[in-house]
Amino acid sequence: MPAGLATYIIRRLLVIPLILLVVSFITFALGRFGPSDYVEIQAGPRANPETIERIREERGLNDPVYEQYVRWLMDFLQGDFGTSVKYRGVPVEDVIMPRLWVSLQINIVVILLSWVIALPIGTWAAMRRGTWLDPLSIGLLLVPASIPVLVATPILQWLLVVQLGLLPADSWSDAEYFGVKLGVFSKEAILAIFLLTVPTLAGIARFMRAQVIEVMDQDFVRTAHAKGLAVNVVVIRHIARNALLPIVTLFGFELAALTGGAIIVETLLGIPGMGQFAFEAVQSRDYDSIMAVVMLGSLLFMLAMLVVDVAYGFIDPRIRLGGGLQQ
Amino acid sequence: MESRRLVYVLTGLAVVLVLVIGGLILVTASGGSDNGNSNGDSAGEPTDGPDLGERVSGELRLFGPDPITLDPACASDAGSAEYIVEIFSGLVSFDQELKVIPDIAESWEVSPDGLVYTFTLRTNANFHDGSRRVTADDFKFSMERSLNPDTQSTVGEVYLDDLTGAEEFINGEAEEVTGIRVVNPETLELTIKERNEVFLQKLTYPTAYVVDQREVEGSTCFEGNWTLTPNGTGPFKVTEWELGTQIILEPNEGFYLEPKPAVSKVTYILSGGSSFVMYENDEVDITGVGINNIESVRDESNPLSEDLNESESLDVYYIGFNVNEPPFDDPEVRRALNLATDKEFLSTEFLEGLVVPAPGVLPPGMPGYNKSLEGQDFDPEEARSVLDATGKADELNGVKILTSGQGAAPSDILQAVVAMWQENLGVTIEIEQEDFGLFLRDIDEGNFQMFSLGWIADYPDPQNFLDIKFHSESANNETGYSNPDVDALLERARGETDQAARLELYQQAEQLIVDDAAWVSLYHGKNTYLVKEWVTGYAVPAFVIPNLRYVTVDR
Repeated sequence: MPAGLATYIIRRLLVIPLILLVVSFITFALGRFGPSDYVEIQAGPRANPETIERIREERGLNDPVYEQYVRWLMDFLQGDFGTSVKYRGVPVEDVIMPRLWVSLQINIVVILLSWVIALPIGTWAAMRRGTWLDPLSIGLLLVPASIPVLVATPILQWLLVVQLGLLPADSWSDAEYFGVKLGVFSKEAILAIFLLTVPTLAGIARFMRAQVIEVMDQDFVRTAHAKGLAVNVVVIRHIARNALLPIVTLFGFELAALTGGAIIVETLLGIPGMGQFAFEAVQSRDYDSIMAVVMLGSLLFMLAMLVVDVAYGFIDPRIRLGGGLQQ
Repeated sequence: MESRRLVYVLTGLAVVLVLVIGGLILVTASGGSDNGNSNGDSAGEPTDGPDLGERVSGELRLFGPDPITLDPACASDAGSAEYIVEIFSGLVSFDQELKVIPDIAESWEVSPDGLVYTFTLRTNANFHDGSRRVTADDFKFSMERSLNPDTQSTVGEVYLDDLTGAEEFINGEAEEVTGIRVVNPETLELTIKERNEVFLQKLTYPTAYVVDQREVEGSTCFEGNWTLTPNGTGPFKVTEWELGTQIILEPNEGFYLEPKPAVSKVTYILSGGSSFVMYENDEVDITGVGINNIESVRDESNPLSEDLNESESLDVYYIGFNVNEPPFDDPEVRRALNLATDKEFLSTEFLEGLVVPAPGVLPPGMPGYNKSLEGQDFDPEEARSVLDATGKADELNGVKILTSGQGAAPSDILQAVVAMWQENLGVTIEIEQEDFGLFLRDIDEGNFQMFSLGWIADYPDPQNFLDIKFHSESANNETGYSNPDVDALLERARGETDQAARLELYQQAEQLIVDDAAWVSLYHGKNTYLVKEWVTGYAVPAFVIPNLRYVTVDR
């Protein structure tokens, strides 16, 4: 690894805590300035307002926001992410980890599936540019991408689960393989994976198609053809590979979203993942959990972006990182 | 060559991916899956999670709400109480007929002045772990814990403030609640400040339940996770609580009341989308029926129609006014809105008979329910002439009706009511949605013109509706309604020992309240639900009671 690259990475890594600090403060302040708090929500309509106020005072919720923030920050820096109030007394990491695992499994499968399906379709469509097969193939993918999951979910549930009985009513299972919970490989997960994969296909396929078309017209492709290489070889070895380069960025974004859950699909199908939890945490003003979810998401996003930037420099030496990277 | 670099990069990304995933597997596999693998699974074979597939004989499967807490001192919502009443127990409880029955207290005596309750505890009530039996000291500890400010319970004082010395204890002026006295391990004496006919019923609420002192010490309503594995005394014990996924209860073999639990296991599924769909696929044994499915379920050609059950629910849904500010300080304006509301249409047509219209306050099934109450019956012409006579029709335009909601369209019911007023009175009233917490605060502070809310019974007594909602000094009287005649009737009812005379007083009070048009009562809920043929003894209760020990599952 060139020395310049190491410096670059270190510099980027050093910036991460600063950004996290800003993100955490904004998130924290938004939460505390937002309407009502968890004491009020849990108290319900029967409680005495004075009691609520007393408890709020005891729990430090009436302190100035910066004081509360510093308190949270000190705990956080010492590795104490706080306790959930939605699941009373449970450390936040114990609440989040199982859910993180659920969303992670789903996301990995969805990413793999969408790329494996969409890349060949995009390439195929590009090769047929100018014929009716090109717009048809991409157009077909756009149809499901245009149906909101809010609509598609209940319809598919009704059709596949109730009417045809093809899928179980439960949308997630605790099935274990090799002693690890891998619900994503059970039939319960099929609907969720389908609902999350299909809408992504059009975007990736179209991006790939555009890249392939750009590469197709370049000189080295013409040379490859001229050499007499078989069409398949040219497509796979020369065109597809080079077209993939810009797609690394797209992949980086997906990598960053790996631990985030799909709020709508998870909530509608009742999948105990990060998306559902994020929604519930906000609803119940589970402050510490919200902070943990946001911090985790931001951290992974920044790491993924760093990986992508570094990867870019590797792929294309013409791209210089931070001005300091020497070839 | 560029393509070789690409291979490196993709390999690099793959390695990062594998590391992230691997790390997470290690973290979650150690923490997350230690509770589900009691099925003797062999590696590599897909073993269905405990919530699906292998149903144990005699197992009851329910779709349950995700409880906020299983701490009896803290639960303020029915979703939590539903579990707590099965896992914990107190001096007294309700049976399926909603009568107060002995629980851990074998019997009790009330002093002639109605102030001192002496409970004799049974000697065979033990904690789930079998370590020891429940004594009077446990009750003193548990009730004081509910009242102790350090516990940070918002409901303790609501249900236990009748006790002598409760206030001093809450304010830190006393070390103990003087009204809770341990006479001996089998005898507990409770003293209340003034005669109260519903005191025993209030003791059925979880705040008076017994908890294990060794387990709960130091916890508050927001800290302490002993509730994941609570050591209760009730008919069922928690064998597993997987957060957000499922709760498994098993019978407490040593339970002291008859009938003892007859099911082998109760599995509550906390996630999984639609309970109705799960019911159709035999994955849960009981499901509620909502507006989307009721028509098809009622159709007799549908096999599900044979599973259909209905039961009363002790609640009321209503629209309240800020009666201290114009235009709603004028009872005639409130009356006009009442007369312009077609409750019959709302219940039978709009909500397809899932609810019953509410002419008054008390729901059918509540003692003291008055069949011959004179409600403000729907009469659009009368409504308009009443409103015209007040000359305040213009003031109603633009008035806001506050409701709790999250951005989506406000409830259809409220929209229908507003449309009725528009049509029958020509006034345009707006619906304003607020976040639940903020909504409650605004209601408490009187910061509203109108609002819509429901009220569900804690115990089957009209006091729980009329005194709490309409006495001018009640903390839960949000509307600010005040009528000296009503106050007098409610106060007389508090001290009346003859049950028939008491209910008569409440009926008089209710009639006055309805005549004053204090609310627009809309409807009373009904439980409409499906029960599988293999389940017997299950009825959705009118409010939360220990219910599962009566159930048998023949499958």
